[in-house]
Amino acid sequence: MKFLYLLIILGLFGWWFTEKPMDPAGVTLTEDASLAEVLSQLGAEDHPFRPDTTIPGVSVARGASLVHTGFAEGPNGKRASKQSANFVCTSCHNTVREDPDLRVADPEARLDYVVQQGVPFLQGTTLYGAINRRHFYNGDYQQKYGELVFAARDNLREAIQLCATECAQGRALEDWELESIVAYLWTIDLKIGDLRLTDEDKMSIEDALDGKGNKTAARKLIQSYYLDYSPATFLKPPANRTEGYEDIVGRPDRGSMIYESSCLYCHENARYAFFRLDDSKNTFQYLKKHMDRYTRYSLYQVARYGTSPMPGKRTYMPNYTEQKMTDQQLEDLRAYIEAKAAE
Amino acid sequence: MRTMLSMLALIFGTVTMSAQEPIYTTFKDTRVINTHSTETLGRRKLDVRISHRFGDIAGDRGGFKTFYGLETAADVLIGVEYGISDNVMVGLHRAKGGGQLPDGTTGLNQLLNGVAKVRLLRQSTDDSRPVSLAVLGVASLSTAEAVDNEDLIQNFAEFAHRLAYHGQAIAARKFSDNFSLQASLGYTYRNVVPFEDENGIFSAGLATRIQISRVFGIVLDAAVPVSNMRTADNGFYPAIGVGVEIETGGHVFQINLTNATQIMETGYIPYTTSNWLDGEFRFGFTISRPFNL
Repeated sequence: MKFLYLLIILGLFGWWFTEKPMDPAGVTLTEDASLAEVLSQLGAEDHPFRPDTTIPGVSVARGASLVHTGFAEGPNGKRASKQSANFVCTSCHNTVREDPDLRVADPEARLDYVVQQGVPFLQGTTLYGAINRRHFYNGDYQQKYGELVFAARDNLREAIQLCATECAQGRALEDWELESIVAYLWTIDLKIGDLRLTDEDKMSIEDALDGKGNKTAARKLIQSYYLDYSPATFLKPPANRTEGYEDIVGRPDRGSMIYESSCLYCHENARYAFFRLDDSKNTFQYLKKHMDRYTRYSLYQVARYGTSPMPGKRTYMPNYTEQKMTDQQLEDLRAYIEAKAAE
Repeated sequence: MRTMLSMLALIFGTVTMSAQEPIYTTFKDTRVINTHSTETLGRRKLDVRISHRFGDIAGDRGGFKTFYGLETAADVLIGVEYGISDNVMVGLHRAKGGGQLPDGTTGLNQLLNGVAKVRLLRQSTDDSRPVSLAVLGVASLSTAEAVDNEDLIQNFAEFAHRLAYHGQAIAARKFSDNFSLQASLGYTYRNVVPFEDENGIFSAGLATRIQISRVFGIVLDAAVPVSNMRTADNGFYPAIGVGVEIETGGHVFQINLTNATQIMETGYIPYTTSNWLDGEFRFGFTISRPFNL
């Protein structure tokens, strides 16, 4: 009889183990869990932008080097030529989180966040979480790059190549360089902690992972916490550049933040731009004088239209879209410049 | 030797720290007029430079007959400089050379010039580093044809006779956005010199930049040979320059007036025999075009 009881107990244990997931305590979403991997566990389609590591020379370290310096040691052990003489990826893109709420593209919130984090306020969208996006060169970028955006709109690799040749005005990336960059981007993908899930939503997702909930609904729930594209709306300078944008009053304190974390990032000591900017009164007076003009030294002109690369001088300034700098922020910058010019 | 190494370690240690809050643009160019400034090119920046010094505006060789010097060229330089790092730059130039001695014989001309400059220290905003310091090295090689006259330095009996060198320590401080001041101490050595001339010459330099507006600035510099031989009585004068810098959105154009007839240090320090007070100064300009590499 005792032997029968033992068999029943062992049988019950066996059933429990086969029915339950491997984690006897249930699935717990950790803060640093890869968002893409969690989606995969929830039954998402195979991620289309996984790096091809079968290509000789592909590595995360090489990708990081290319993104931050424009160089990397090639498969032959020799350093490849610099991808662009004009820019590196980090000239226009951060590689860390830059939005407090990933569900919206809000430049006001972003400005506070990046200043707090000590990172620049830039025209390009951060590369952090790039592999979690599905659409690139969105919105009005077609106005700027025409048909070139079509191939890049749903393809990260094409988007990187477009960035390399058009945005950075450099050469096209070799296969090993491109895949290395993709490999690096996978190291700076979104993590579950970045979403700042509510406890309730987190439990729902854990349940789905645990096999107790709807996996499709859980995927949609996760995807509702971040944008899988970066919206881009091109704006125009104010109709009257002397008066500025109508009904907007500039806030010099906010303008100071923009000048320091945006303008000086590229222009201080000619880091990327040959046109130097600094904190001298002469510079502020110069910017003020050109404010209402139609030249490349006009704040309104360059912020909204940027400048164009020219033969022999490929370095240019990209424009700021509405999602990267609002009209209000432009007026804030103007107010700061004019206040400093008058000091 | 150990003390020297300790000092170098201290200096380079300070260079490492100098990444914090540096002062930029003490001068707008790597040169003031004749003399080098403490500025160096940024890393991977290539600077294509063309400098020109015309003939005397007035005096015996100037005036209307040379259209105030514009129809003669005292010196012409064309070359490139490159920033190896933000604090180290090298350059190579070809210069006509316009050095002349008081007796009318020419100095070391038709030159290939190699330049290296290292910024050891950069002034900081908190004044923990009150000045910027740089050291400069110049080597000039004359490619002129040798002449069969032992009285001339162009005799070039040995290859080494074609060479001249210059070393300089430069200290500069940006007092405000509108005012910078620089002092320097140099030593120029020529392997071969005319009879009774001296091979090694110390020199002291002073330079300043007064910024009038974002676009316009005035620059002045002077290089004074410290030598009993290089006096006005012997027909030698300090090289003094005054210029206007015009910044046009990334480019700095400079137009200047100077009594120096040579552009490089190995020329204008030992061979300036033109006197401002005799109208022997000239119009000059420099075009500097930086490229990213």
